[in-house]
Amino acid sequence: MKPLKILYVEDDQRSAQAVTELAAQSGDTLVWESNGSAALLRAGMEAFDVIILDRMLGDIDGLTITKRLRESGIGTPILILSALGRTSDRAEGLDAGADDYLAKPFEPEELLARLRALHRRSSGREHSAVILYGDFECHVKARTAFRQNQHLSLSPKEFELFRYFMENAGEIVTREMLLRDVWKMDFDPQTNVVDVNIGRLRRKLEEGFATPALETIWGSGYRILDGR
Amino acid sequence: MSHHSRSIFTRLVWGAGALSTLLLIGLWWTTHQTVQATLEGGARTQVDIDIAGLVDIYATNGREELAQRIADRVAVIPMEGNTPHYYLSDNSGARLAGDLARWPSLDPRVSESGLIPIGETSQGYARAVQLDDNLRLVVARGMADSEPLLQRIGFVFAIGGAVLVALVLLLGRLAAARLQRRIERINAAFREPTQDALSTLAEPQDGDEIDELTAHSGAALARVRNLMEAYRDTSDQLAHEIRTPLTHLDNRLVKALSEGPKGAVAQKLIEAREEIRRLVQTLESLLDIASSKARKGDKAGLKKFDLSAMVLRICELYAGSAEETGHQFSWQVEGGIHFEGEEWQLSRVLTNLLDNAFKYVPQGGHVEVALSADATGPVLTVSDDGPGVPKDERSRIFERFFRGGAEGASDQTDQVPGSGLGLALAHAIAERHGLALTIEDTPSGATFRLARP
Repeated sequence: MKPLKILYVEDDQRSAQAVTELAAQSGDTLVWESNGSAALLRAGMEAFDVIILDRMLGDIDGLTITKRLRESGIGTPILILSALGRTSDRAEGLDAGADDYLAKPFEPEELLARLRALHRRSSGREHSAVILYGDFECHVKARTAFRQNQHLSLSPKEFELFRYFMENAGEIVTREMLLRDVWKMDFDPQTNVVDVNIGRLRRKLEEGFATPALETIWGSGYRILDGR
Repeated sequence: MSHHSRSIFTRLVWGAGALSTLLLIGLWWTTHQTVQATLEGGARTQVDIDIAGLVDIYATNGREELAQRIADRVAVIPMEGNTPHYYLSDNSGARLAGDLARWPSLDPRVSESGLIPIGETSQGYARAVQLDDNLRLVVARGMADSEPLLQRIGFVFAIGGAVLVALVLLLGRLAAARLQRRIERINAAFREPTQDALSTLAEPQDGDEIDELTAHSGAALARVRNLMEAYRDTSDQLAHEIRTPLTHLDNRLVKALSEGPKGAVAQKLIEAREEIRRLVQTLESLLDIASSKARKGDKAGLKKFDLSAMVLRICELYAGSAEETGHQFSWQVEGGIHFEGEEWQLSRVLTNLLDNAFKYVPQGGHVEVALSADATGPVLTVSDDGPGVPKDERSRIFERFFRGGAEGASDQTDQVPGSGLGLALAHAIAERHGLALTIEDTPSGATFRLARP
């Protein structure tokens, strides 16, 4: 995984410390700013791969920072990491111009997965007509899937799931990302509906093959394997 | 302003126009009557003077002279005034003198007077008198000359009236437009109570009743706004102050887990993390319920969306897990039903109802979702053939922290996870959208219905 250069704006020192450690573990470079005006200055001078913003800061709040950055033409992907975690709060964040929104407390893996997905989206490495990864082929336009050149018979929803995994090949995909991007739901229904749907897709991808297709990352999500 | 199809001001202006037209017509009619009466009065005086003169002549000079004088008068056409007309006859009715064609229907014995036709077209005032036992006389004066005058009066009234009514309409329209602007200022502030809208309400204009109403509205709206802001700030602070320490606690647990504890310890740590999750979810649900209740009837933030597509998406999401848990799950969704609301909130209503159904319905049971539309709007039902909700609990099932203790399901419910807030939240969201979430009275199972009340 390519290390990311992250700007993190957070006024709570302990939260900052936890995320800094997390970034260090995954080999990313993290620059921490504790207030909004310093962060705006910094983001104007240096280029970052992603920006993580807290909402309730001492001086300028995260939503205002987001708006100002977008107004001044800075398109760096922004993830808002906030204690305001209701769906209405998320909607506000996205309306202000943020690209993703994660509520505290969060799974460390969830944050890392989302930062990578954000970076990937912004660097435009997707939307090709055919996505290849290991044994798998995903024909986006024809809506067909193959493993070792064998056609996989997937339902429309299963295909969408498969395509999402293929677009994020090699990376962790979390339940919340799946709910948001595949089922357009901005909250977690308190049941195992996602896991069950993944289970069904997994069976279709693995039936008749010796090696697993999907890996469960405990506590956070799934990752598609190359199938070899 | 265009959204008032029946503005009171438009109606007032048209009303004033109609009223002034009516008044003008009334005034014209009165004038017309007065003029006519005056002219008739003139004719009456002339007739009476004429009769007095002729009676005098008859008394002094007798019948022959009278007939002669009448003939003389008929022969002379006066330069101005009205032409007099006569009819002198004996009791047989034969005309002795005069120019009227026949005796009018007037009784000479009582000196009757009245309007009679003269010639083919005009009218005149006439009086009949009995001069002696065998001689009677009618004197009439034509009133044809009054027509041009009355026409002139009518003409003046028509032109003057048109100008007057036009002026009333114009001035009324101007005054109404001004009033309408002032009322609209209040309405605009109610529709969207922004800071700008509220501050314009504070500027006095004429110091009249409307200004007072404006000021009161502004103050009331500002109070509501402040309350909403205070409510928002408080709930944000509350969320922040609870979530932040929980996040720190969670971070510690993650760290402890990363140090590779043994099975039982790890299990306890994982459970502790799950408890934190639940606590956060309970907090969120409570805040969502409060916010939905506070925004009941508030149209802000509502957008039209494809409800059919949303319901289908969620049904498909649950289909797999229903199969897994051994439930018969089916859905009947009418396509193309759109609804104005917050999509995520309505998804939440459906997922909460489905979570609830799958939680309480035993294995092998049926759960069915149906979406249709009637005249009032969409109707969404989630029904099952599970244990149902006892009658005495039906009114309380939507209360916060109420958890069903249905007989037969009671062993199950103790183990069923959940905050006891799902239905309360669904109910609050329904109300916020002007919908009602009710539980139907069914002989068995439970049927939840979301529709306009």
